[in-house]
Amino acid sequence: MALTLLLLVPLVTGAWLVAGGRHISERTATLANLGAALITLGLAIAVAVARPTVDRDWLPALGSRWHFGVDGISAPLVLLTAAVGLLVAVHGIRHTPEGGAPSTFHGCLLLVEGGALATFAAADAILFFVAFEVVLVPMWVLITRFGDPHDAARRATAGARFVLYTATGSTLMLLGILLLVLRAGTADLTALPAAAAHLPHGTLVLVAALLTAGLAVKVPLFPVHSWLPPAHTTAPTAGSVLLAAVLLKMGTYGLVRLPLATVPEGWATVRPVIAVLGVIGILWGGLVCLVERDLKRLIAYSSVAHMGFVALGLASGTRTGLQAALFVNIAHGVISALLFVVVGGLKERWGSVDLSRVRTALREVAPRFGFVLVVGLAASLGLPGLAGFWGEFLAVYAAWTAPAHVGLFRWCAVLAAIGTALAAAYALRVARLVWVGDRPTDAQRQASTGVEADRSEQVVTLVLVTAAVVLGVVPQVLLTVTDPAVRAVMGR
Amino acid sequence: MGLLLAVVAVPALAAPLGLLAARSRSAARAVAVGGLGIALVLAAYALLTRSDPADLVSTFPAIDTGDLRIPLQLQGTGPALLIAAVVALVGLAVQVYSVVYLADDDRYAVFAATVSLFTAAMLLVVLSSDLVLTLVGWEVMGWCSYLLIGHWSRREGPRRAAHKAFIVTRVADIGFVLGVVILAAGAGSTAYDKVLAYWTQGSADRTLLSLALVLLVIGVLGKSAQIPFQDWLPDAMEGPTPASALIHAATMVAAGTFVLAQLFPILVLSTPARVVLAVSTALTMVLSAITAFGQSDLKRLLAWSTVSQVAVMLSALASAPASVGSGPGVLHLYAHAFFKALLFLTIGWLGVAAGGTSAKAVRGVGRRSELLRVAFLFGLLALAGLPFVVGGVSKEAVIAAAHEGAQAGDPAAWVVFAALLLTVVLTAAYAARAYLVVSAPTGERDGATSADDPAPSVPVGVSTVLAVLLGGTVFGGLVLLTDLLGVNGGVDLPILVLTVVLALVGALLAWRLSSSPDQVRRSQAVRVDPAERLLGSRMAMFDNGFGIDRVYRVLVASPVIALAGLVAAADDSIVDATGRVAARGVTWLGRTSHTRHEAERPATGLVWVGAAVVVIGAVGVLAWR
Repeated sequence: MALTLLLLVPLVTGAWLVAGGRHISERTATLANLGAALITLGLAIAVAVARPTVDRDWLPALGSRWHFGVDGISAPLVLLTAAVGLLVAVHGIRHTPEGGAPSTFHGCLLLVEGGALATFAAADAILFFVAFEVVLVPMWVLITRFGDPHDAARRATAGARFVLYTATGSTLMLLGILLLVLRAGTADLTALPAAAAHLPHGTLVLVAALLTAGLAVKVPLFPVHSWLPPAHTTAPTAGSVLLAAVLLKMGTYGLVRLPLATVPEGWATVRPVIAVLGVIGILWGGLVCLVERDLKRLIAYSSVAHMGFVALGLASGTRTGLQAALFVNIAHGVISALLFVVVGGLKERWGSVDLSRVRTALREVAPRFGFVLVVGLAASLGLPGLAGFWGEFLAVYAAWTAPAHVGLFRWCAVLAAIGTALAAAYALRVARLVWVGDRPTDAQRQASTGVEADRSEQVVTLVLVTAAVVLGVVPQVLLTVTDPAVRAVMGR
Repeated sequence: MGLLLAVVAVPALAAPLGLLAARSRSAARAVAVGGLGIALVLAAYALLTRSDPADLVSTFPAIDTGDLRIPLQLQGTGPALLIAAVVALVGLAVQVYSVVYLADDDRYAVFAATVSLFTAAMLLVVLSSDLVLTLVGWEVMGWCSYLLIGHWSRREGPRRAAHKAFIVTRVADIGFVLGVVILAAGAGSTAYDKVLAYWTQGSADRTLLSLALVLLVIGVLGKSAQIPFQDWLPDAMEGPTPASALIHAATMVAAGTFVLAQLFPILVLSTPARVVLAVSTALTMVLSAITAFGQSDLKRLLAWSTVSQVAVMLSALASAPASVGSGPGVLHLYAHAFFKALLFLTIGWLGVAAGGTSAKAVRGVGRRSELLRVAFLFGLLALAGLPFVVGGVSKEAVIAAAHEGAQAGDPAAWVVFAALLLTVVLTAAYAARAYLVVSAPTGERDGATSADDPAPSVPVGVSTVLAVLLGGTVFGGLVLLTDLLGVNGGVDLPILVLTVVLALVGALLAWRLSSSPDQVRRSQAVRVDPAERLLGSRMAMFDNGFGIDRVYRVLVASPVIALAGLVAAADDSIVDATGRVAARGVTWLGRTSHTRHEAERPATGLVWVGAAVVVIGAVGVLAWR
């Protein structure tokens, strides 16, 4: 019951808000979003604790069932999604962008949240695919309708790119899923590993390659990442937060659930490629961040680098690697949400976040924003005591101890470690350009009034900073939740 | 026992508490001083009541990922607790001093909180019995140093220095992280005892061990500002003086010595790692002592002397034979903590009195305050390694250890031994120069102060701190009466005589150079700055560290930025362009077929065909059932 409600509350409320359009006032829309998000979070906690399942007949011809459930791998992501959904709703109290009816905006946020929750809770491959696609349309609306108000053409291309890339990826993934499901005779994710085990090796590799290629777009892995920076740059703050904290996780989650868990034999063949692409992503993203001029694009490229660590961990084929990947997944969700709230807020106030423009230092005129930015940057560069450290350290360890292709993976470990130094370089670059600076003159101080974080941003960032510190100081809270599920997946 | 955990946790918690209390200066002050005060008392108590062998103390539940066990434990061994107590003492001294020194600073609370966190991180490194906990403390220290050096972020100098310090050490930390990973990967655990047990057994892969240790040593060289990473440390003088005292005396730059000391049983097994360490430290101690002599700013002179002295500590680990152990290196770390904290805090206050720390500004200031002059003198005596004061005791132990290693036929130890002897001369020379400048007879005046100026007021907080550190500097050597560090208190007479003679030679050289070339002034017993007389305008070269900064930029920073530019261009014109071209191709196809069809008129017959297909289909579906 709680599980069905978990999906119904955001999806139904979202659909109502979108359908209502201009007939629903901004106030009602905001409150409905807040209420639904709050209830969803409550339900998510209940689901994460009680772990109920729903299992009904659905499409017998495909062997597909209406099957939802959560385990140690999905529970943290369900919680993260619901929590980010609520934070986005709180942020929306004061930040509802122009571009369309407010209720459409809030509705789309809820639809994205509901779709993501369904993706993480789906225990059936076809269902997973359907839920995965549900998210696409509301996200497209958020980018093209509510994005950067300064540049309509750029909104359109960013939206188009987002749809084209992810739809192409989805098609590949659908092919993989259909091939797998039809050959194995079931779409149930728990039954698939056993059912698929007897398939010929060639089929397994093909399925793994198709699934991985399709999901790689969403992660995103190098070289199919180039939809992400424009999408992030133009999306409204709430959209960027959802994109980074939730949508990208659907890709990595899919990699764990589909190729890694269902066709381990095929995955073993694909693994070295993924590791190499992951490491290229780490270095590529880190290097671009050293010269990128737009701060929002910079954070997007840093996401590419961080998701490279997830790919490396997954590809290592060790339990530590899978743990590391799941940890980076959640940690990056928290950290990127934090950074996008700050950077999105700055862009709303400054009109652009061009780093080549000299601005009054945040530390001087907006100390709260400055503090949050620095915490986010420190977490992003992997400072111990904050969320970013554990996953990336364990990913490097996992790569070093990979059981197969030892030489290749050890080189990957070395390059990934170099990537952490690049992360430090770009994080400090941002700090030096945005955070610190000369003492402002009175005129500059005057011009900078209103830059400081407002109430809703303060609440949101406080929650995210706390989460980053808790995950950094007590990583066990997450590692012990994922551990049993990781054992189950890797046990075979 | 939770005692060890509290030693780390109390100052760590003082940091966020201090930030929360930032509105009230007195509350922030109380939290900062109180936190480290409690840490000191707890560390001292733990030292006195320690058990032997020391128990492992859990902090958080162990992490077990299946292939790797991270127990996250602390261990209060004798040396660890001794160093922890000294670290807490220096941290407390710095907090008390900062209350006065940063009395007018609007970001005092942030500074004090960072000092608390920094000290907690060092205490974690010292007490850790787990490589990952060490790494945690190690990195947190690096970040705190960034914040402390860049504390005065309204000026460009500190901003750049902080940036440089963090990037340089972080680049070296690539090695540290990989070293930790390799060591842990062998043992399947990050616990020191498991790691040492695994790698000392005969079947362990020695090549891999050497690789791990060389990487680890690279990390240590970075944090300890050894060649080729040395240049960040003198720049870090842009930070407030208490921060310099903390970074230099007892924490960050000295941390590597302690980490390597804990790994000494496997370090002695790896000749490559020891050779790398020996060569770097031998070069560093001599060259940075020379550089120290030519500094026109006494605070930067002390900074270069830190680089040199940390090289001395590390060289003991590179040259001591297994039978001697890590004791001499740790002893010098202990000694250096006292006298370097004393020297920094003294020069800081001399600078306050003189309005700057350049040799010109502080000239003769020592004459106006007996306390400052005496404190400075004893700090320099210890630095120069004169017998009986703490630095002398430890330096003799280091030299004796290197000598023993050399006699055992270790060529690296010979290099270290020779470099140490040369360093003794050079250290005595620049120490003597520093003293001559500060206590110069004020017959000639070119600075801002004169003997007629009133004696600088030394607040009670500052004088207490200096007195305590002075006591440590003079009597700290008594630690040898205990067996805490495993260094025997016996005196190696030939080496003692040799070092004293060499030190006197160095001091005499400086003294000779300080006699004025001008006949008249010499007759008035006026002394000039020996460095200025010897080097003249070439001091500028010493001041900028012989342009190493430029080398960093040309060899590392610029190529990386150029590569980044290339990658960014490729990202747009190759990776993204592929997608754009594909999309354009599809659009073109669509548009072409669209215009083709537009030219045609739709045939009405087609509608009927369509309708017929639908009807037949429907009938077929219905009939199927």
